[in-house]
Amino acid sequence: MATPPSELRQLQTLFYQAIAPQPKASNGATPSNQASSNQDAIAQLAAQIRIQDKLSFEQGLAAYQGSVMGKLTRALEEIYPVCCCLVGAEFFAAMSRVYVRKYSSHSPDLGDYGEQLPSFLEQFEPAAALPYLPDVARLEWSWHRVFNAMDRPGLDFPALANIPPEQWEQIRFELPHNSILLASPYPIHRIWQVNQPGYVGSAAVNLEQGGAQLLIWRDRLETRIDLPSEADWQLLQAFAAGQSFGEICAQFLNQEPEIDVAAQLPIWVQRGWITGFSIAEMADP
Amino acid sequence: MGTVVTSQVASRLSQSIQGVGIGLRSQHYAHILTHQPDIPWLEALSDNYLGGGLPLHHLEQIRAIYPLTLHGVGLSLGSVDPINLDYLARLKTLADRIEPAHISDHLCWSSVQGNYFNDLAPLPYTETVLDYVAERILQVQDFLGCRILVENLSPYLQFRHNSLTEWDFIAALLDKADCYLLLDINNVYVNATNHGFDPLDYLLAIPPERVKEIHLAGYEDQGGFLFDTHGYPVQTGVWQLYQVALERFGSVPTLIEWDTDIPAFEVLMAEAEKALAYWPQA
Repeated sequence: MATPPSELRQLQTLFYQAIAPQPKASNGATPSNQASSNQDAIAQLAAQIRIQDKLSFEQGLAAYQGSVMGKLTRALEEIYPVCCCLVGAEFFAAMSRVYVRKYSSHSPDLGDYGEQLPSFLEQFEPAAALPYLPDVARLEWSWHRVFNAMDRPGLDFPALANIPPEQWEQIRFELPHNSILLASPYPIHRIWQVNQPGYVGSAAVNLEQGGAQLLIWRDRLETRIDLPSEADWQLLQAFAAGQSFGEICAQFLNQEPEIDVAAQLPIWVQRGWITGFSIAEMADP
Repeated sequence: MGTVVTSQVASRLSQSIQGVGIGLRSQHYAHILTHQPDIPWLEALSDNYLGGGLPLHHLEQIRAIYPLTLHGVGLSLGSVDPINLDYLARLKTLADRIEPAHISDHLCWSSVQGNYFNDLAPLPYTETVLDYVAERILQVQDFLGCRILVENLSPYLQFRHNSLTEWDFIAALLDKADCYLLLDINNVYVNATNHGFDPLDYLLAIPPERVKEIHLAGYEDQGGFLFDTHGYPVQTGVWQLYQVALERFGSVPTLIEWDTDIPAFEVLMAEAEKALAYWPQA
């Protein structure tokens, strides 16, 4: 592996400090310790830059600062279009700039940027009037991750048919890879639906209509948001927790005898909710 | 440091591209698949297809009709951070799946200490940096099993301690890393204007046999200096420089790139036709 030259390391660190978006305090001012380290970096970088007639150091620096801010805020806009609709483009842009100053990017893929937006929104005072906004953001992030997830093969039926009956209890059934279970006290699915491009019908949402329990998953190419029944929701959570089929049957027989797990399983397989399985190790006797 | 192309990969990459292609953007999937416009090839942004699902599905549908090249922004070839092997592995998986005519990224760095700014930052042009970046490119080519194309960018800051010009740096790098050049004519023009050099000096320094693709795009005049926005038609000065490049490098496959305020596909087709008009008549 190539060893990086130390002067290149210093230069890149300095360059990053000078152009990376800087956090601001709630009153809009840059915190003094960060401001001074950013200003130091800019001054040190300026000393290493060749003076040009047409393009001053300040213009060059601003070109990079603006470009980085633009790329990251556009990434958020693409991942969170419903949140953008709900608060308006101007508010969303201002909010994005605050977010970008707080969270740096850690991946070459801009699709990995913005995961903390839901929790950021919970603390973001100017959006406090929209208490459902963080959960809508959670739904959008889930949708984005599921939509872009790697392709996976479906359930291997012949392999499942080959499991001897004495091992059935040990089977751990797997929900679709990258599927997400999301619950909210707000009707986030309805909010999401009426804010989709091309949605036709009444855009009214009754916030009192109750919460939502959602399974976000991909059926081959189609990204879906399913609304499981209460019984399905409880079962989904048991499957997601990695319990074996035997454990799940015993638990539901005890606590929810009206839910017939064995009868549900083939229905789930048909829906595409079961896409893999493994055999749980037996505990030592 | 030697040649890295294995015979198997060489045959995969032998499917070559010709003429003037267009940068593939998701806004145009439906148009392309429905109308199958008469274009010789398309260039996909690799970073948009490193997952699966619909984006990759659309790309495979388009690949069934057109030759493709892969162009990325994530390799961070000049960074002091180690090469991101996860990213590289995903890029290789994509390349194995869609069999591009070639793979390219930029001569730049975009991350340090694990922090990415997802933008293309300039390198200092020194012998030490040249050796370092050449070694990194060889590492990437070894992993991918093919030569890559590196693209010249438009730096808005240049370093005082540069001991080489950009064109001498690139010419030496192409030889040392045994890689190819994706020559962005717009960037050469923008740099020449912003940093005050003669773009002909640049073109004359580049070894013609290493130029495998040309990019054309539109810049924006920001009052005094030029900014490489890729959101406008190709400007007059860039067309003139393109003509000189074709005379020097021959009929190199050329791409129309448009990244912001993306227009209707017909507008890109018209730009491609305009580019083709500069080609010598067969």
